[in-house]
Amino acid sequence: MPASNFPVSRKASFDDSLMPPCQIACPLHMEIGEYVDLIAQGRVMEALQVIRSGNPFPAICAYVCTHPCEDTCRRGQVDHPIAIRALKRFAIEFGGDRMIQEEARTTYSEKVAVVGSGPAGLAAAYYLRKLGYPVTIFEAHSALGGMLRVGIPQYRLPREVLDIEVQRLTQMGVEIRTNTRVVSLDLLFELGYKAVFITVGAHQGLRLGIEGEESPGVVDGATFLREVNLGFQPSVGTSVAAVGGGNVAIDAARTALRLGAKEVKILYRRTRAEMPADPAEIEQALEEGVEICFLVAPIKITRENKRLRVTCIRFELGETDASGRPRPVPIQGSEFDMEFDTLITAIGQAPRIPEDFHLRIGKGSTIQVDPVTLLTNRPGVFAGGDAVTGPATVTQALAAGRQAAQRIDEYLRHKYPLPQKEKPPIAKDLLPKTIEVIRKAHRLEPERLAPQERVQGFRPIELIYDWQSAVDEARRCLRCGMGAEILFQDRCATCLNCLRVCPYHVPYLDENGTIQIPADQCQACGICVAECPAQAIVLRKPRDRRYIDEELHHVFSTAKQSGFRPLIVSFACQYGLFGTGTLSGLWKEAQASISIVPVLCVATVEPEHILRAFEMGAEGVFVAGCGEQCAREDTHFWVRQRVEKVRRALGQMGLEPERIQAFNVRVKEEDPVQRLHQFTEQIGQLYLAAVLAQEVKM
Amino acid sequence: MIVAEQKPLEEIQRMIAPYEKVLILGCGTCMTVCGAGGEREVSFLHSALRLAQARTGSNTHQFSEYTVKRQCDPEFMALIADRAREVDAILSLGCGIGVQVAAEHFPDTPVLPGVNTSFMGTITELGVWDERCAACGDCRLAETAGICPITRCTKGILNGPCAGTKNGKCEANKDIDCAWILIYERLERLGQLEKMRRYYPPRNFRTIPRPRRLVNLVKADMEEGNG
Repeated sequence: MPASNFPVSRKASFDDSLMPPCQIACPLHMEIGEYVDLIAQGRVMEALQVIRSGNPFPAICAYVCTHPCEDTCRRGQVDHPIAIRALKRFAIEFGGDRMIQEEARTTYSEKVAVVGSGPAGLAAAYYLRKLGYPVTIFEAHSALGGMLRVGIPQYRLPREVLDIEVQRLTQMGVEIRTNTRVVSLDLLFELGYKAVFITVGAHQGLRLGIEGEESPGVVDGATFLREVNLGFQPSVGTSVAAVGGGNVAIDAARTALRLGAKEVKILYRRTRAEMPADPAEIEQALEEGVEICFLVAPIKITRENKRLRVTCIRFELGETDASGRPRPVPIQGSEFDMEFDTLITAIGQAPRIPEDFHLRIGKGSTIQVDPVTLLTNRPGVFAGGDAVTGPATVTQALAAGRQAAQRIDEYLRHKYPLPQKEKPPIAKDLLPKTIEVIRKAHRLEPERLAPQERVQGFRPIELIYDWQSAVDEARRCLRCGMGAEILFQDRCATCLNCLRVCPYHVPYLDENGTIQIPADQCQACGICVAECPAQAIVLRKPRDRRYIDEELHHVFSTAKQSGFRPLIVSFACQYGLFGTGTLSGLWKEAQASISIVPVLCVATVEPEHILRAFEMGAEGVFVAGCGEQCAREDTHFWVRQRVEKVRRALGQMGLEPERIQAFNVRVKEEDPVQRLHQFTEQIGQLYLAAVLAQEVKM
Repeated sequence: MIVAEQKPLEEIQRMIAPYEKVLILGCGTCMTVCGAGGEREVSFLHSALRLAQARTGSNTHQFSEYTVKRQCDPEFMALIADRAREVDAILSLGCGIGVQVAAEHFPDTPVLPGVNTSFMGTITELGVWDERCAACGDCRLAETAGICPITRCTKGILNGPCAGTKNGKCEANKDIDCAWILIYERLERLGQLEKMRRYYPPRNFRTIPRPRRLVNLVKADMEEGNG
C-alpha cells in the first residue's frame, strides 16, 4: 500500500493546549507540564531543552526556586503536588546541562549597561546578549551573582552552579566588570551606553529600632550572610539568635549552626502559620536543631561581659492587619531576658539607591518604574528586581530581567511594547467525583543528607532523584490542560459514548443537549478519543507530540530503511516502558525487528491503528501497557475491546488472530520478557511459513 | 434510533468483487451512534478491506471513504455527487433507508448494503442495544404503561401475560424479561392496575398496507381562493 494513500484525518499542526495552573503561577511561565511529561517519558534531554527555553539559569532555579508552581499544582487536590523543582534538578543533572554552550552574536551597536549582577541583572544580560546587544555588567562585589552569591547560603546553592552560569555569560560575550561600583549614571551614558538597567537588589537590612541595637555582636542578616558567603568566617560564639520569620532568618540561623554555634534560636513575633519562610526550609532548620521561639521579639539589648542580654516580650495574636496576617500584640508585663553571643536581625531588607542616580524613589526605598515599560524617571534608565519590588524570589527577578531585556530592546529599536498573547488558563478546581477516581500516588522526594551530616559544613543537602523515582514522580502529573476536546463539533452525533466511557465522569450534556468535555476536569486518558464513533474528539496536543497516525508513519519509514524482517510493531505506553528504559532491555535477543510507537496511554490506541500497522507490513502487533502503574483501573479493559475487534477482522481475512497480543508490562505475575520472546518466536515462525509457502507457489 | 450491525467482511468482499472503485459511505446519525457505520467504522472497514486485498496479493479494488451527516435525505446525497461519479459502486454503511435513498439518487451506480439493519431500539448499557418499537402504526403504549408488548413480548400478545411466564422471564428465552410482567409491575406502581383487567381486542394487521406513506402537508386548493 503506498504511503500517500494513508488517511491522516486530523490536522497535524493542531495545538490548543490550555495553560495549567503551574505555568500561570511561575513568574517565568515555564512550560512545566511539558517538561514534567518529557521526564515521565524518560526523554530527559528534551525536557532540559524545554526548561532552558523558558529559563536563562535553570540550574539555579533547580536549587533555590520557591516553586509557586507546586503550591497551585492540582495534584495537591488529589494527594500531594508534583515535586516540580526536584524534577527540574533531575533534568538538569541527567540531561547534561553542564555541557550546553550558549552562543550569541552582536547584531546591534547600542551598548547596554547592567548595574548589579543579581538574578535580574544576569537574566537581562543573557537575553540582551541573545538579542544581539553588547552588554556590560557592573558589579560592586568581587564576584557576580548578587544575592545568589552573597545572600543564599552555599548549602542551598553550590557556588559551582552559579559559576557555570556566569561562565556561560562570558562565553556569550557579556563584558563583566566586578569590583566596580557605579556612582553616576551620567558617566555610563558618557561612556557610550545607550540604555542602563538598574538591578542593585535590596541588600540593606532593616533595623529593629530598639535600644542597644548598635552593640557589637548584633548584626543584620544580609550583612552576616554576605560575610560568610564572601569567605569570611565570622565568629558567632556558641549561642546565636536570629530575629525574624522569613527565609533570611532561617538561612542565618542554619548558617550560624554550620559556623559552630551550639545553640541557635529564632525569635519570631507571630506563629509558625504566619511565617513567610518556605515551610520545607523551616522543617529542615528544625531537623538540624534550630529552635524557634514563637510570639517573642526583642525590645532591648544590653551588652554585659562580652555577651548580649536580650530583653524580650511575649506577644499574642490580634486582629488581621494590612498584610492579611493577625497583628501581634505585646503582652504587658511578659518581659524576660535571654543571653546570646550573637544576635542576627533579619526582619526585612530594602534597596539602597545612591542619590547621585537621581531616580525617583517610592515606598520602601524602592525605585519607581512604569510597570509596563520598566522605565524610571530618567530616559534610557530601566530598573527591575528587588530594587523595584523589594525582597522577592529568584524566579521573580529572572522574570523581571527577561522583561527588562525585551523592553530595552523595544526602547532601542523604537518599538511599542506589545502585550503578549497568552493561552487561556485552566483555573478551576477538580471536582470531588473526578478526584475520587484518580489513582492515588505518594509524592516521591529526592533523598537528603541526614541533619547531623548537614551541619558539618556547607554541602548541598538535597540529593538527586534516581531515574526510576524521577519518572515515577513525573508520572503523577495530571496533565492539566492537555485533555480531550470535541474538535469536530459538526461530526458529533451526540451518541454519548464519551460520557459513558469516561472513567472520571467528565463529559456531560448541557442544557441545550450538546455534549461538553470540560477541559479543567479532563484527565487526558484518551479513552473517549478512541471510542468516539464519529472520530470527533482529539486530545489537545502538546508541542512536538505526534499523533499515533503520524508516529506509525514515522516508524514504518525508518523500518523500511533497515529492511529487517519480520517486522513487529508495538504500541507501548510512553511512560511505563519508555520512561524507565525497561524497553530496550526487553528484546536484545528478539529474532525480529521491533518498532515502537509510543502512545500517551494504550487506551488511546484505536483498532484502526492496529489494523493499519498490519496493512503497512507488520507481521505482528503487540500493545504494551504499563500495568499497575497506570493512572486508571480500566485501561486493560479498553485495550482488550480493541484487540478483540482487530482479531475478529484478521480472522475473517484468514490471518492468525494470535498475531496481535496485549501485554501488561509491569504486572508482577507476568514476565514480559518471556512473553515477548514467545511472541516474537511465534511471529517469526508464521513469517517463515508464509515465505516458504510463497516459494512453493513460485 | 435505528440499530444495525456491520456485515461480515467475507460478505462485503463478495458483494464488491465485481467493482473496481468502491466508495465506502458512512452515515453520521444512527449508524454512528450504534457503531455500525460512522466515521470510525468507515475507516476501520476501509483499512480492513485494503489489508485483505493486500493479503491476497491482488490489486483489484480502489477504495475511498466518506461519511455524510445522514443518508436518509437526498440533499445529503447531492453533496457526494462528484465522489459517486468517480466510483463503480457505493458500499453504504447507512441503514436500509440510506442504501435505498442512495440508490434512488444515483440511478447509474450500484449501491451495496454494508450493514444489516436490525431494529429500532435503544442502548440499555454500554455496547448493548435492545429493540423497543416495531413501527406497527397503531400505538397502544398508553394502555400498557409505556412498555410495548408488540415488540417486547415474544408472542406480541395484547392481553398478557401468557402461561409461559416464569419468575418474570419469558418461556422462549430465560434471559428476556416477560413484557407483561413488566407492564403489570409498572401499572401497579402507577396505580393503574385496572388497565390489566380490561380486554383488548385483536389488532387488525390488515391496516398496514405496505409500503406505507405519510403526507403531512395540505395541498393548495384552488377553490378556497388563495390565488
